[in-house]
Amino acid sequence: MFDFGFALSIIPTIGKALTTTLTVTLLSCIFAALLGFGLEIARRSNKLMRYAMRFVIDFIRSTPVLVQLYFLYYVLPVYGIKLPALVVGVAALSIYYCGYLAEVFKAGIDGIARGQFEAAKALGLGRFQTVILVIAPQMLRNIAAPMGSYFISIFKSTPYLAVIAVPESFGSALDIASDTFRYGEPLAVVGAIFLAIAVSFSWLIHRFEARLALPGR
Amino acid sequence: MTFAEVLAGIFEGFRVTVLVTLLGMLYAVPFAFIAGVAQYSARGWPHAAITALIEFWRSSPVIILLYAFYYTLPGFGLRLSGLTVGAMVLGLNIGAYGSQAVRAALQALDRGQVEAGRSIGLRRWQILLLIELPQALLAMMPTFINQFIQLVKGTALVSLITLSDMTFRAKEISQIHYDPVKVYTGLLVAYFIICYPATVVGRWLERKVGAGRKLVHDV
Repeated sequence: MFDFGFALSIIPTIGKALTTTLTVTLLSCIFAALLGFGLEIARRSNKLMRYAMRFVIDFIRSTPVLVQLYFLYYVLPVYGIKLPALVVGVAALSIYYCGYLAEVFKAGIDGIARGQFEAAKALGLGRFQTVILVIAPQMLRNIAAPMGSYFISIFKSTPYLAVIAVPESFGSALDIASDTFRYGEPLAVVGAIFLAIAVSFSWLIHRFEARLALPGR
Repeated sequence: MTFAEVLAGIFEGFRVTVLVTLLGMLYAVPFAFIAGVAQYSARGWPHAAITALIEFWRSSPVIILLYAFYYTLPGFGLRLSGLTVGAMVLGLNIGAYGSQAVRAALQALDRGQVEAGRSIGLRRWQILLLIELPQALLAMMPTFINQFIQLVKGTALVSLITLSDMTFRAKEISQIHYDPVKVYTGLLVAYFIICYPATVVGRWLERKVGAGRKLVHDV
């Protein structure tokens, strides 16, 4: 029933598409983190921004990533913005996860001792310098683990991009399935690859978290 | 078509979205508690087995699990409806995340609680049911609310296995009247209307409960 020979034979095809999956993951992680950090810093700038940004974050978190993906893919061209599917996919994942990462950054910044902000002020650092030189490095230490697990979530969300025909691994598995009328092997292979990568990453994050922990905490 | 008409059309799929969510909860809640408690109390190879099961449901992309179960189960002679498969896969995926909240909340309890239970002669399962779980329940709530939102949003996936939920209806409307701006804005609004109240409650609970407690965070 399950043909191991066939399963082995399709690994190279799916493996090749894995480069797209990993590229999408990497780009989405970077943009989601930058956007999320921007949102969080903007949220802290004044009262109006606090409510506005909180609403933006809640809106992003209250709608499915699949729907956001469809929205960008079908609505942008109406306004004359024609982008390659891969770019739309990266944009959708970045926007969806920046809402979650902003919340993570919030917790990370809240965890920094007040004295640090006062020290930065006493040294005469500007707002920008304080954010980049004082807040960001300490925040990253606080949030390495939750941020890492959102990066894994981004990786696990890349198969959504198959619905807008980005040639990533899941899409290539579906292509093989519809060509050969065999669903079991391609889906098992692609599922196993994703599972193996996700589990290894989360193990690495655990190791990394232990190394980052401040002594005596 | 006016925006209101589009929105009304989308809400024709509301019943299916709710149905998948509720059926999914029937899988998610028991799985979260059973797997979470099992992982918390088991040692040795049973612990490894339950961890592997949780990781399988949690660390595999849910869209791949959905397709895998929907398209390969018939090959094993199991003919299940899209609704059954959708609810099961989404439910067990969310339940696996929930199990980590259960386990973490149990682990965060003071050890003295178990010792106190033992010293008054309670059995292990009585300690679990009467002392540990009631206290841990509060700490799990914010994560459970967040996972509930994830489940509602996750139901959009069943449109891919031909269930006519809100997302499926939106695509249908879009095929008949070409108006992606109204249709997909409407769809975002529809999910927002359902999930936003839960988001607000979850945020409030997190503030109430979160202070001083380390909770598993997850998507």
